[in-house]
Amino acid sequence: MGGGVTPDGESLFENAACGLVLTNPDGTIVRVNATFCSWTGFTAVELVGRRVQELLTMGGRIFHQTHWAPLMEMQGSVAEVKLDVVHRSGAIVPILFNAVRRRHGAQVFDELAVMVVNDRHKYEAELLATRSQLEAANERLHGADRRKTEFLATLAHELRNPLAPIRTGLEIMKQVELPTEGGRARAMMERQVAHMVRLIDDLMDVARIESGKIELTLARIELRQLIDSALEASRPVIEAAGHTFRLILPEGSGALFLEADLTRLSQVLSNVLNNAAKYTPRGGRVELEVEPLRDAVAIRVRDTGAGIEPQRQASIFEMFGQVAGTLNKAQGGLGIGLALARTLTKMHGGRIEAQSPGLGAGSTFTIHLPTVAAARRDASPSWQEGERPVRPLNVLIVEDNQDNAETMCMLMELGGHAVRIAHSGRAGLERAASWRPDLILLDIGLPDLEGYEVARSLRADPHTAGCTLVALTGWGAAEDKRLSEEAGFDAHFTKPLAPAELFAFMHDTFGGPTG
Amino acid sequence: MKLQQRNNITVHGDGPATMLFAHGFGCDQTMWRNLTPSFGARYRLILFDLVGSGKSDLSAYDYRKYSTLHGYADDVLEIADQFAVGPLIFVGHSVSAIIGMLAAIKEPHRFAANLMVGPSPSYINDGDYIGGFSRGDIEGLLQALESNYLGWSSNMAPAIMGAPHKPELGVELTNSFCRTNPDIAKHFARVTFTADHRKDLPLVTTPSLIVQCSEDSIAPRPVGEFMHKAIRHSSLRVVENVGHCPHLSSPGSTFDAMRGFLTELDL
Repeated sequence: MGGGVTPDGESLFENAACGLVLTNPDGTIVRVNATFCSWTGFTAVELVGRRVQELLTMGGRIFHQTHWAPLMEMQGSVAEVKLDVVHRSGAIVPILFNAVRRRHGAQVFDELAVMVVNDRHKYEAELLATRSQLEAANERLHGADRRKTEFLATLAHELRNPLAPIRTGLEIMKQVELPTEGGRARAMMERQVAHMVRLIDDLMDVARIESGKIELTLARIELRQLIDSALEASRPVIEAAGHTFRLILPEGSGALFLEADLTRLSQVLSNVLNNAAKYTPRGGRVELEVEPLRDAVAIRVRDTGAGIEPQRQASIFEMFGQVAGTLNKAQGGLGIGLALARTLTKMHGGRIEAQSPGLGAGSTFTIHLPTVAAARRDASPSWQEGERPVRPLNVLIVEDNQDNAETMCMLMELGGHAVRIAHSGRAGLERAASWRPDLILLDIGLPDLEGYEVARSLRADPHTAGCTLVALTGWGAAEDKRLSEEAGFDAHFTKPLAPAELFAFMHDTFGGPTG
Repeated sequence: MKLQQRNNITVHGDGPATMLFAHGFGCDQTMWRNLTPSFGARYRLILFDLVGSGKSDLSAYDYRKYSTLHGYADDVLEIADQFAVGPLIFVGHSVSAIIGMLAAIKEPHRFAANLMVGPSPSYINDGDYIGGFSRGDIEGLLQALESNYLGWSSNMAPAIMGAPHKPELGVELTNSFCRTNPDIAKHFARVTFTADHRKDLPLVTTPSLIVQCSEDSIAPRPVGEFMHKAIRHSSLRVVENVGHCPHLSSPGSTFDAMRGFLTELDL
């Protein structure tokens, strides 16, 4: 042994590095050490006989009664309970408690060991404050994001409106003899408008996906249907860029089925094919290869184009990811298409990836999709393209946008129909009652009455109940279609109207010129 | 969702009448375990956790529904409908005594008796009424909850120390009855301690027993006397006990008080 003296038990208890308190099970203090006394400002004589819970703040006493006391009864211990003790001076001392209930002979005591946790308390308060700040900031961001999405949806909707009369106007020009230059200009305008409609549709889709408003219409389809549908849209783009195209379909890929929304998935594949065409210098090569996997299929689109820098291969699927990138700037693009493709693929239970050895080395986009067992194929409607002549009709156009009404009118007159125009819901009702048209093309967003209301009134009036009612609207969500069906519409077309679809509907409803 | 899972309902014992036990703020149904063995031979016993407490389905915690005690009272009526057999004796601790009272006011024909352990119709002092606390005290409780539920939240590893001399409690240590979601705990605390149901007391027609502890800082004696005066057909029994949980710390005298009251009612 050295020269030092080991402190005895009494001294160890009194001056321990933690406060020590011995109480009866009801909290009455029996013994307390000097450390605890110095932390709380009371003498041992003052403390003995008092209840330990009386040293707590009122809130702490409630906590003691509702948590501590039952825990002591039920498991004989509590650990790491932090409560505020009121110092003799009135100051608050944050203290961390550990306690064990133990039998000593015939008597049961609670043994408490406590630590002052000033710094930890401050740190914790800071953490909590930071957390609530973060929550508030998050909430604000969420709100801003929601407003941005709403803005995008509204913007897309508003952009569609002026395109409607332009598109119809171009359709009219097609049927009128134009000088060569005029014809070329018309064709150019038609292509550009079609492109603009696609961009706006993408924008609207993204906004609707972001706000969770898009729903898939799932059906069992053959993989081949998907590829045909996408190629139908993309082949002209690939050919226009002078690329050679190769489709690699291994044996057995004809027996691959998907549970999918054909329109949406072909939008995805077509987007990837169009990108390949767009970002590959003229005269390049684009390949589409199908690889059947176990319960899945990988669809690869390879090109010999611009390629992607390694660090950007993940971010190109982010919204607006193309904007800041080094991809061929001249080609532009908002960077919506790939974000949309990724979301739609995900909604189908699949994923999409991009690989590229680097800039200028071409890229491969792979779409993985789950496959399903072959079963009865859902019959898909076959749209016949081309002329759909219709017998002469009386057509009433109810539309508040003058240009739109005028161009629709011209289009109908070119088809040999008699046309009347009304610019409000009420005027439309009056005109319908007096003139008894065969077909009424009705805008939903009218200044006085909602189109739905006009439709219901028309259906309620025996003079007009038999008319064919077509809704024309900028809103094409399933919910809008349901509403128009409920209001009594026979058909619902989204603006800008594709005239061929309307003609097909008219042909099916009214029959050809002789029928 | 099934009621049984929503409220973690457990059924014990057997008998011609049913006792439905509802725990108070801060705990779960485990806290009845010193009392239930004595009743199990004579009654059918239903125990449950309030939504947001214990092993209830936390996803069923609807902040709007449970912003008043009536939300819980509606749950009690649902549980009674589905699980009770014969005359129904409701046993509620603290806030749940009031929840049972509200349920009995809504459908008095369903309740044969209401046994209220440490009840208080309002915790906040108001003029001549001494509930025991100020609004500031309740804010202090929320702070204490915030500090402690940091370590006790149900998604964190258990930190509650073992009790070596009671190894049979091992399971509870890893699945403590005080654990819950901190946000829910704070909401429940605020709803509990700011509720004021003094006006409802005269509406009670169910025979009611008030089990008052001789010393209880949460529900002091004047509060028990206030309730006794305001509720018709009520009995007040004072149990020698320091603290707010006589069913845990003085189960014998609590049982005697309850059994005596039920005998008088022929239950």
